[in-house]
Amino acid sequence: MNLMQLIINVIYAASIYAVVAYSYYFMYSARKFLNMSHAAIIALGAYLAFEIKKQLAWNIFIVIPFSVAITAIIAITVFLLIFKPLQKRKASSTKMLVASLGIYLVLQNLISLIWLDAPKSLCSWPVKRGHNILDVYITNEQILMIVVSIALLGVLLLFSKKTTIGKSIRAVASDSVLADVSGIDSYAVVLWAFAISSGLGGLAGILIAIDVDMTPTMGMNAFMMGVVTVIIGGVNSILGIALAALLLAITQHFGAWFIGSQWQDAIAFVILVLFLLFKPEGFFGKKVKSATV
Amino acid sequence: MLKVNELHTGYGKKPVLFGPSLEISKGKIVAIIGPNGAGKSTILKAICGLIPVWDGKITFEDSCINDSTPAKNVKRGITFCPQGNRVFDELSVNENLQIGGIYLKKKELAGRIDDVLQLFPMLKDRLKQNAGTLSGGEQQMLALGRALIPRPKLLLLDEPSLGLSPNLISTAFERIQQVNRERGTAILIVEQKVRKVLKICHKVYGIKLGKVVFDGQPEQIRHDERLRQIFL
Ligand SMILES: Nc1ncnc2c1ncn2[C@@H]1O[C@H](COP(=O)(O)OP(=O)(O)OP(=O)(O)O)[C@@H](O)[C@H]1O
Ligand SMILES: [Mg+2]
Repeated sequence: MNLMQLIINVIYAASIYAVVAYSYYFMYSARKFLNMSHAAIIALGAYLAFEIKKQLAWNIFIVIPFSVAITAIIAITVFLLIFKPLQKRKASSTKMLVASLGIYLVLQNLISLIWLDAPKSLCSWPVKRGHNILDVYITNEQILMIVVSIALLGVLLLFSKKTTIGKSIRAVASDSVLADVSGIDSYAVVLWAFAISSGLGGLAGILIAIDVDMTPTMGMNAFMMGVVTVIIGGVNSILGIALAALLLAITQHFGAWFIGSQWQDAIAFVILVLFLLFKPEGFFGKKVKSATV
Repeated sequence: MLKVNELHTGYGKKPVLFGPSLEISKGKIVAIIGPNGAGKSTILKAICGLIPVWDGKITFEDSCINDSTPAKNVKRGITFCPQGNRVFDELSVNENLQIGGIYLKKKELAGRIDDVLQLFPMLKDRLKQNAGTLSGGEQQMLALGRALIPRPKLLLLDEPSLGLSPNLISTAFERIQQVNRERGTAILIVEQKVRKVLKICHKVYGIKLGKVVFDGQPEQIRHDERLRQIFL
């Protein structure tokens, strides 16, 4: 494999990590618990797109926003039915995690029941499968993923910095009690964050499924890498996530080049452990505040 | 303006306040003093709506606010600076101030921020900086500024001196007095730096184990040997 191809592969892998991590970022910053059900939401987005496309035969670019919206609505329903009562009872993050694992299993099994376990493919529309530019092979689907991840970076940065909801989510992430006493309805903000995250999660699932076939468990792998990316990025920074995705992809691919591709996941977790040990606040995360002046 | 009548509340099932009553009238500075764990912060949290009132009554401008939320109280004219001069570390100074008036229209908000910057010009050069990188004194100013954006009639301050050096404490108290004087804001302030707060307040309540054990003029504490031993 030549170097140029390796770089393209790295950028593509980084794009997947980044898109999944962006999708997890909002819910995690608003309400800090490991929400495993997000893994099922990622797969659900892909399967909904598959079904809508099959039934209505719409263009994929109409199918995508439609599926994203339905995914967000389903996720919010789940939130209202299960997470909201738990939150009312001030459940610990561990209890929320266990509940979310239960939701993941239920949703994933539902997907298996409805669509069966055999891999399904989203991209049956007529496009040329790939391009060969200067000895580098890249497909349209991969280009789409890269373009979307870069566009999302810009859109989400603007959203976070400029809009009232974006700023409110950041305020709740920073100090939810202070947000409350400042007049922010932090509960409504958490709901917004879940809706945005779930919609983006659905989008991530669709984009992944456009390139590789979908299976009911496809969300978990993507989700784990997304979580690793968010933690390395420093949970409070969209730019940090983008950098973390690049770092992960670079070390994984160059590592695989030297020691073999079966080690890719292991490499990701080694990096995670290194960050947790030596830079637990991530790239741009919260620094520990000095106690006195 | 604000009346607290036989307030009972606590955390979970554990009671912390056992019926303290207090009152603050328009434009005054009233101090709450007392040892650690007496329940001073808890009084402020109950007034601003962060924790539920179990029993008793809180009235603000003749309406009962027992069941009000912090957000509703902000609009009503009660704002709160929690203990530790908390600011949103990851947000810029400007964004911190914007959050203080998140419910306002853009134009109005900009005017309010200008007002606060006039009061605290030092913050002007730091608008783009992350609040977490400010010095302790600057953070105190920002915390106060954030709470002033809604133009409150009543400001609740929980230990604004916490973590500040003696010099900075004096400046902080001057600022608080300035807000009270120039804007006529009533201030209910919890403080452990008793000597200093007695100099700026009009009335003082002493709290011990969730009850009011003293209320009166600041001079009374300074001149009473027994009270001095308890509170100074
Ligand atoms: N969030 C909480 N959950 C449970 N108990 C609490 C909580 N906050 C305070 N308490 C308890 O309530 C009691 C009163 O606390 P409070 O913070 O009101 O005291 P304080 O007078 O403000 O003390 P300090 O001067 O140390 O700030 C203490 O016994 C404390 O341990
Ligand atoms: Mg306190």
